[in-house]
Amino acid sequence: MDDWVFRVDELTKSYGDDAPLANDGITLQIRPGEVYGLLGPNGAGKSTLVKQVIGLLEPTKGSITIGPYDLVADPDHARQLCSYLPQAQMPIASFKVREAIEIAGSIRGGGGADVKRRTNELIEALDLGEWRDTLGAKLSGGVKRLVGFAMTSVWPGKLVILDEPTNDVDPLRRRMLWAEIRRLGEAGTAVLLVTHNVLEAEKSVDRLAIINEGRLIAEGTSSSLKATDSGSLRLQVMLAPGTETPALPEFVRFEGRVGHNLVSAITESDASAGIAWAQRLMAEGLAEEYALGATTLEDAYIRLTGHVSEEL
Amino acid sequence: MTAVADSVRVPARQRGAAFWLHGFGSMLRWEMTRLRLLLPITALVQTFTGAGLVLGIGLFFEEMAPRIALYLASGAVVISLVTVGLVMGPQLVAQQRQEGSYDFIVSMPVPRSASLAAWLVLNSVVALPGIVGAVLVAIWRYDAAFHVSIVIVPATLLTLVAGVMMGHAYAHSVPEPLMVGLISQVLIFVIFGFSPISYPVENLPDWLGTLHRYLPFMHMGNVVRDGLTDGLVSDVGFSYGVLSAWTLAATLVAVVVAKRRG
Repeated sequence: MDDWVFRVDELTKSYGDDAPLANDGITLQIRPGEVYGLLGPNGAGKSTLVKQVIGLLEPTKGSITIGPYDLVADPDHARQLCSYLPQAQMPIASFKVREAIEIAGSIRGGGGADVKRRTNELIEALDLGEWRDTLGAKLSGGVKRLVGFAMTSVWPGKLVILDEPTNDVDPLRRRMLWAEIRRLGEAGTAVLLVTHNVLEAEKSVDRLAIINEGRLIAEGTSSSLKATDSGSLRLQVMLAPGTETPALPEFVRFEGRVGHNLVSAITESDASAGIAWAQRLMAEGLAEEYALGATTLEDAYIRLTGHVSEEL
Repeated sequence: MTAVADSVRVPARQRGAAFWLHGFGSMLRWEMTRLRLLLPITALVQTFTGAGLVLGIGLFFEEMAPRIALYLASGAVVISLVTVGLVMGPQLVAQQRQEGSYDFIVSMPVPRSASLAAWLVLNSVVALPGIVGAVLVAIWRYDAAFHVSIVIVPATLLTLVAGVMMGHAYAHSVPEPLMVGLISQVLIFVIFGFSPISYPVENLPDWLGTLHRYLPFMHMGNVVRDGLTDGLVSDVGFSYGVLSAWTLAATLVAVVVAKRRG
């Protein structure tokens, strides 16, 4: 049995002596069958990492391997072993859905009959049948995204890299997409999922890493990353429009504010005091509603990066 | 076994002739599909440009000497040969960079030479109608006396390859899409207006004529004219030399760019 583990070891990328390191000693491993999330705010170094994997950028230091194969030394081989869904939409305006997937499969090295079979399987699994012969130019953003995913996974190789695969995809088809990503794993491919949608990643990945300012600052399962927050609750207050962030009582830990949404954490024993505080804000007309709930990966993410994910 | 299980079986590192041919075939299909809406229009426009150039400029003269018609027709052939490779291709690459799909295209596991070869084949197909249009109009309208010889084959091939390679070189080595657009505009301007492709180099000021001895455009005109006519071109060997040097240099740039990683 071949060893197909994807390994990144001490990967460092510098864009010049004056610039901060875009990747700074990143080490991680993804086993075949594993769905691995790579989270981080914009500019954290996620794209730089991905571009080094598929041979578009050359690492300053460190190594990238799949099993026995050195991807840095042989970028052509890297492209045979890894398939890549970029964040941007695929250039398929003049392709029918079926054609786009089939030709991509052929380019990725699949044979005619096998690729046809796999294309049909994907069209069915992602519920794309009604657009089978529709030109890309006429597809909605979400359907186009699914076609892009199908083009990437029709003949995937040993590592599939998906950059924000669920963008624009409706909730129903999102579930189908995740099921297909799972099936890739079951078939033995490693999946690297790049995203800044923390909540979705929490539900969908086996393990994840958080990178910030080029460094990998946390890695593990979603529960292990949340462990530090155990005993904490999340108190979210929707402030009234035009309201300044109010002064917080001592037992309320400020985590961030997105628009009118104030996110904070309190310990479980302070739950009733937290509710009383939130209700007082509502009574004073400073807030419109509040929610108290279990901490999520989002809280760990905010604590580690100092950033609030956009999908809050 | 399901299709997905088949699809993740990766054989050993692919290389060799069969792999190259598979990549070439797939890329040809990819390019033809990608441009299926644009190509027929381009071919049509090329035909009209070829014929129109010969006819249109003819309107400036009451009586056009067959010699001038020969110049115009062979110039139109050259323009048909290089437009897609030197101008349209780079603009498409710039567009891919702008919309963010460039990284996907270059992440595809196809030998660069195979995708370039596919692009070259596509270029020759699109250039063909323009060539035929220009020559036919020149014969019909001005009784242009073409003497087509077998050297038209290497001449058109070299001109086509030179245009494609030079276009590929600047499209992929200049990362800024706006800059690529600008270069392509300048090239159109220089080729149509200020290159002795459709007229003799003696019509230009001396300094510009001298400059064109070292640029590729005049020599494209010379080698094509040499294959289409008799007695209009001298020292065609020098033209082949300069044009080959440009093609080689552009190919070297293309190879370096393909191997280069940021």
